[in-house]
Amino acid sequence: MICWRDMPLVAQPSFRNGRRSIFAFLFAALFAGDALLAAETPKLVEILATELDRNFQTLKEKGDPKPYFAAYAVTDNEIVSMEATSGLLAAKDTRHSRNLDVTIRVGSPKLDNYRRQPRDIAQFTLGSAVSLDDNANALKRRLWLDTDSVYRSASQRLTNIKSDTQMKVDAVDQSDDFSKAPASIEFRTTPEFKVNEKQWAERLRTWSRRLSGAQEILNSAVSFQAQREVKTFVNSEGTRLQHGRTFARILIMARAKAYDGMDLATSDTIEAEEPGRLPDPKVVEARIDKVIADLRGLLKAPEVDPFVGPAILSGRASGVFFHEIFGHRIEGHRQKDESEGQTFTKRVNKEVLPEFLSVYFDPTLKNYANEDLYGWYDYDDEGVKARRVSVVEQGILKTFLLSRSPIAGFPESNGHGRRQAGAEIVARQSNLVVDSAKKVPTAELRQMLIAEIKRQSKPYGLYFESVTGGYTTTRSQGLQAFTVIPLVVYRIYPDGRPDELVRGADIVGTPLASFAKILATSDKLEVFNGYCGAESGSVPVSASSPALLVSEIEVQRKNRSQERPPLLPRPSNPLGGVE
Amino acid sequence: MKRRTLLALPALGAALRGQTKIDDPFLEAMVAELTRSLRLSIAGEAPYYIEYMVEDGVNFGCQATLGGLLNSVVAPYRLPRVMVRVGSYEFDNTNAVYTGQVRGARYDSNRWPLEFNRQQIQQDLWLATDRAYKAAVQEITLKKSALQNITLSEKINDFAKQAPLVKILPAAKPRTDEKKWGDVARRLSAAFLAYPKVLDSRVEIDDSVSTFYFANTEGTRVRAPEMVCGVRARAEAFAADGAIIRNHRYFHAFRLEGLPAEAVIKQEIEAMARNLTALVDAPLGDAYTGPVLFEAFAAGQLFAQVFGNQLQAPRDPVSVPGRPVNLPPSELESRMNGRVLPDFMDVIDDPKAVWNGRPLFGCNETDYEGVAPEKLTLVERGTMKTLLYSRQPVRGHEGSNGRGRMPGAFGAAAAVPTNLLVQCRDTVPRIELKKKLLELVKQRNKPYGIIVRRMDYPSSASMVELRRLANAMQGSGASRPVSSPLEIFRVYPDGREEAIRGVRFRGMNVRALRDILAAGNEPEPVEYMLNTAPLALMGAGGYVVGAAVVCPSLLFDEVEIERPQEERPRPPVVTPPPLDSGA
Repeated sequence: MICWRDMPLVAQPSFRNGRRSIFAFLFAALFAGDALLAAETPKLVEILATELDRNFQTLKEKGDPKPYFAAYAVTDNEIVSMEATSGLLAAKDTRHSRNLDVTIRVGSPKLDNYRRQPRDIAQFTLGSAVSLDDNANALKRRLWLDTDSVYRSASQRLTNIKSDTQMKVDAVDQSDDFSKAPASIEFRTTPEFKVNEKQWAERLRTWSRRLSGAQEILNSAVSFQAQREVKTFVNSEGTRLQHGRTFARILIMARAKAYDGMDLATSDTIEAEEPGRLPDPKVVEARIDKVIADLRGLLKAPEVDPFVGPAILSGRASGVFFHEIFGHRIEGHRQKDESEGQTFTKRVNKEVLPEFLSVYFDPTLKNYANEDLYGWYDYDDEGVKARRVSVVEQGILKTFLLSRSPIAGFPESNGHGRRQAGAEIVARQSNLVVDSAKKVPTAELRQMLIAEIKRQSKPYGLYFESVTGGYTTTRSQGLQAFTVIPLVVYRIYPDGRPDELVRGADIVGTPLASFAKILATSDKLEVFNGYCGAESGSVPVSASSPALLVSEIEVQRKNRSQERPPLLPRPSNPLGGVE
Repeated sequence: MKRRTLLALPALGAALRGQTKIDDPFLEAMVAELTRSLRLSIAGEAPYYIEYMVEDGVNFGCQATLGGLLNSVVAPYRLPRVMVRVGSYEFDNTNAVYTGQVRGARYDSNRWPLEFNRQQIQQDLWLATDRAYKAAVQEITLKKSALQNITLSEKINDFAKQAPLVKILPAAKPRTDEKKWGDVARRLSAAFLAYPKVLDSRVEIDDSVSTFYFANTEGTRVRAPEMVCGVRARAEAFAADGAIIRNHRYFHAFRLEGLPAEAVIKQEIEAMARNLTALVDAPLGDAYTGPVLFEAFAAGQLFAQVFGNQLQAPRDPVSVPGRPVNLPPSELESRMNGRVLPDFMDVIDDPKAVWNGRPLFGCNETDYEGVAPEKLTLVERGTMKTLLYSRQPVRGHEGSNGRGRMPGAFGAAAAVPTNLLVQCRDTVPRIELKKKLLELVKQRNKPYGIIVRRMDYPSSASMVELRRLANAMQGSGASRPVSSPLEIFRVYPDGREEAIRGVRFRGMNVRALRDILAAGNEPEPVEYMLNTAPLALMGAGGYVVGAAVVCPSLLFDEVEIERPQEERPRPPVVTPPPLDSGA
C-alpha cells in the first residue's frame, strides 16, 4: 500500500548561497578525478571517497562475487519542532541525526543483486547512525562494517536470484538491472536555518489559544517544524556530491466527536522553503479560523450518502487524486515487477488522459502558483541530476519516472531515484504538475457542474474543497483502486439552494475509469505539499493542479465509531466541576 | 448522574475527605478530577477505583563511537496514565486478556504540555478518564461473557485493598549539561582507538530525572523524585575463527555526578577492551560438568536472573474460551517454605539498602501503584519465606508488599526486587575459595576448573543471539533463559588461568542454587537498569527501574557448561581501516 498524508515540510533553495564549487560531468570512473576534487572538497566527501575506493578495490580484487558498483550516501538532518495546545507550549524538540546508506551491486548491470523478484524486496542498507562531527575514525569504522554487511547480503541475494532465474520462465521485461549515468561532482552550501524559538513559541501559544477557545473542540494543536537536510553522496563511478535544502511548515489540527459518535478532524498545513518564508501571522490566523469553522460546520453537517455523480475537485484535491491514481502507477520499477498491476506499462504513446491534459514532474521547480514546492532537489539519491520529465503530453503517455533501474524501452534514469535514509532506492515522484488546455474561470466551472447535474438528473453534485491525503494499491493481487480522504465536502444543488457541508465521505475508484471522466478544469492552480510513503520510505513531494470537473465520482461512507461523546461535562470549574 | 453512583460514593469519599490539603498543582488537578469521575456510570457499571499517574521529567541520552558523537538528545516529557477499574475489588475488568485491548478514539494527549496549566490538565484527565472508563466497561462485559463458558479452578479476587499512603517529597530538578556529557562520551569512546582488534564499540550515557505524581480514589497521594542515569560501554570483535565476541561495562547512579570519576570509568573500559582483545585468540571452551566458581560480580548477575526474576508469582488471565493463556510459572512459588538455598544463606530485599555510605541503585520510595515498600526477608537459612507482590492477588496470597514497580500485564503491576542482598552466615576469603575449587577439581580428576568473572547481564546481545539463547534454554530444562558468560576462565591445578569463549550454561535454574558449597567474604554490588525486555536487554524498554544485587563469590559443586554449535560469519574480505589514535 502506498499512501500520502499531509505530514509535510517544504522548502525552497538558497538562491543566496549559490554553488561554490566546480560542476562537471564525467563519463567513466576512469578519471574519478583527484584533480577535480581539490581543496574545496568537504571533509565528509573526502572520508567517504577514500573509504569507498579502499573497500571497493579490495572487494573487486578478492571478493567472490565481485562488485561492479558501490556508493555511500550520508543524510544529515537537523530538525526543530515545537507544538502548542490551549495556549501552552506542549513540546519542543531539537534533533540532529546522520545516517549512512551503503549500496553495493555485485554481478553485472545485466543481472545484479537488485533484480526485482516477486515478493522479495531487496533490502541491503542498514541506515546506521554515523558520527555527527566528521570524525574520521568513527566514520571509517562504520563504513567498513556496513560495507561488509551489505556486501554479504548482496552476494547472498545474487546467488538466490541466479538459481531462481533458472527455475522460472523469463519475465516479460528483459531489461538490465542498472543503467549508465554520467558522473557529477558538485558541492553546494545548504543554508543554515535560523529559528527564533522564543518568537515561534509565542506565536504557537497565541494560535493554539484560538483553537482551544472553541468549546466543541476536544483536542487541538498547532505545530511548527523546520528542517535542514544535507545529502553527501559518492560512488565508484566518480560522482562526488554534497547538496541539500531546508523546509518549514505550520500544521493546524482540531478534532471533535459528533453527537452520533463520528470522530471528526479538520486540519491545514502551510509549507515554505524556510521559516522566514512562512506567511504573516494574520494569514495563519485566518487559516486557523477556517479550520475551526469547518469543524463546527462538520459537527452539524449531515452524514454523506453513498453517491455516484458529477463533482468538482479543488486544485489541492485534484493534486492528490493525480498523485494517487496516476503518479504511483508510472513509477518505473512497477513496470517490470510481475507482481504489480502494471496499469500503464503497455500504454506508452497511447491516450491515457483526455487530450486537453498534460502531466509533468519537475524536481527543478522550486515555486509554483506562488507556493514553495516540497518535491524539489538538485540531484536524486543516485546522484543523477534532477530534470523535468514530461510524462503525459496532450493525453498521450510518453514515459515513466525512472531511477537507474531501466525498463524496456527506457534505458536511462530521468533523475527520480529517491529514498528516505535507511531504505533502498526506487523511482518516486517529485513535483507533479497537471497542465490543462481547457481552462475556464472557477465560476464557469461551477455552472458546468450544475449543467452536468441536471443532464444526469441527479439531486446534487459534490465539491471537494480540501483533502488530507489518500492511498492506493498497485499490486496485481489487490484491486487496482485508490482512496482519497476529503476533509471538507459540500453538496452543490442545481436549484440555487446554498451549498451544504456533509461529513464522512471517502472518494473511491479505479484509475482508468476515473480518468475518462474528466470534463474540464478551472484556471486556478493550487499546490498540495506533503510526504509520500512507499517502499523506499517517506519522501517530500508536491502535486499541483487546477480544479477538475468530473462527470462521475464515487463516494463511500467512512467507517465510523459509535462511541458516545464524553459522559461528564467539561471540567470548566477549576475546583472540580461539582454541579 | 445515576443514583447508584451516588450510593457508591460515601466510602470512597471518606477516604478523600480524610486527606490534608496538598499544595501541589498537579496533585490538586488530579484529586479534583478523581472526585468528579466517580460519578461516571453507564450500563450499571460504575468505577470503584481510579488512579492517575504522571511522570514529569527530562531524558538525556547520547552515544559516541571512537571519539565521534553519534547523537545527543534532550527530551522533556510529561507522561500521564489513567487507570479505571469498574466492578469491585472481588471482580473487575482486569486480569483478563481483554484488559487493555479495548481502545476508543483518543482525545486526551499521550503527552501533557510542557507548560503547566491546571485547566488543561483537568481537561486532559477528563478525556482520558472518559476513554479508560468506557474501555473498562467493555472489558468487564467481555470478561463476564467469557466466564459463562469457562470455570476458574479457584476464586481469586482481582485487586487487593490497600491503606492509603500520603508521601509528598520535593520534586526533582532536571538538569543535564548536554555538552559536557557529550564530550565525556566522546572521550570515553576514544579509549577504544588504542585497541584495533575491537571492531565495533559504543559508549552511551543517559540521564533520566523525573517526578512521579500519583493519586487514587482510595486517598493515596504521592510526589516522589525518580532519577536514574548510567554509562554503558559495549564492544564487539571477531575471534580468530570469525565468531563474534563481545563485552561491556556499565555504571549506574541516581545522578550523573554520583558516577565513578571519568578516569575510573576509562580504566574499566580499557580493562574490558584488553580483555576482549585477548579473547580474539582464546580457545573455544569445551563441554564441562563440574565445580564452578562465580566471583562476586558474576554471582550477583546470576542471582539477578535465576532468583530475582522469579520472585513474582504469575497469574493467568481469564482468556477467550478454548484459548487459555498460560504465563511462565515461577520456580520459587512452588518452593514456598521449602529449601531453595543452602542453609547458610539468607536473601533480603531492602528498598533502603546502603552500600559504602550511599544508597544502592534499587532504592525507591513507592512502587508503580503508590505503595511504599518495606524491607523483606525472602529467604531465611535457605528456606523461601515470601515472594514479591503487587496489588494483584495471586494464588495463596493477597496484599501488596510494595514491589509492583513496573507496568505488568492485564492491568496489574509487575513485581520486581529493589536491592537484593544475598547474605551468608559462613564465608571464606577469596583465596580460599579458589583453593577449594582446585581441591574439588583434584578430587574429581578434572583437568581444570572454571571461574566466571562476568556474565552478559543486563544483556548486550543482539536480538538474533537472544532468540537463539531462548530456544536453547527451552531444551535444557530451565524455564527462563540465562545469559552467557562473557569472562570465563579455565583454572588449572597449578593455579594458571586461561580465558575461553563460546560457551554457555545448561540447566541453570533455581534448583542449581542448592549446589552452592561456599561463599566468599567480599560481596560486591551489581547495580543495573531493569526493564521488561528479556535479560533486561541493555538500553531497551520504555519503562526502566533501577535495581541492585549484592552478592559474595559463590562456589558451585556442579554446573553444566556446553559449547553450542553456531554458524560463524566469514571474516570480512576487506581489512579494517587503520585508526588514527593521534587524532
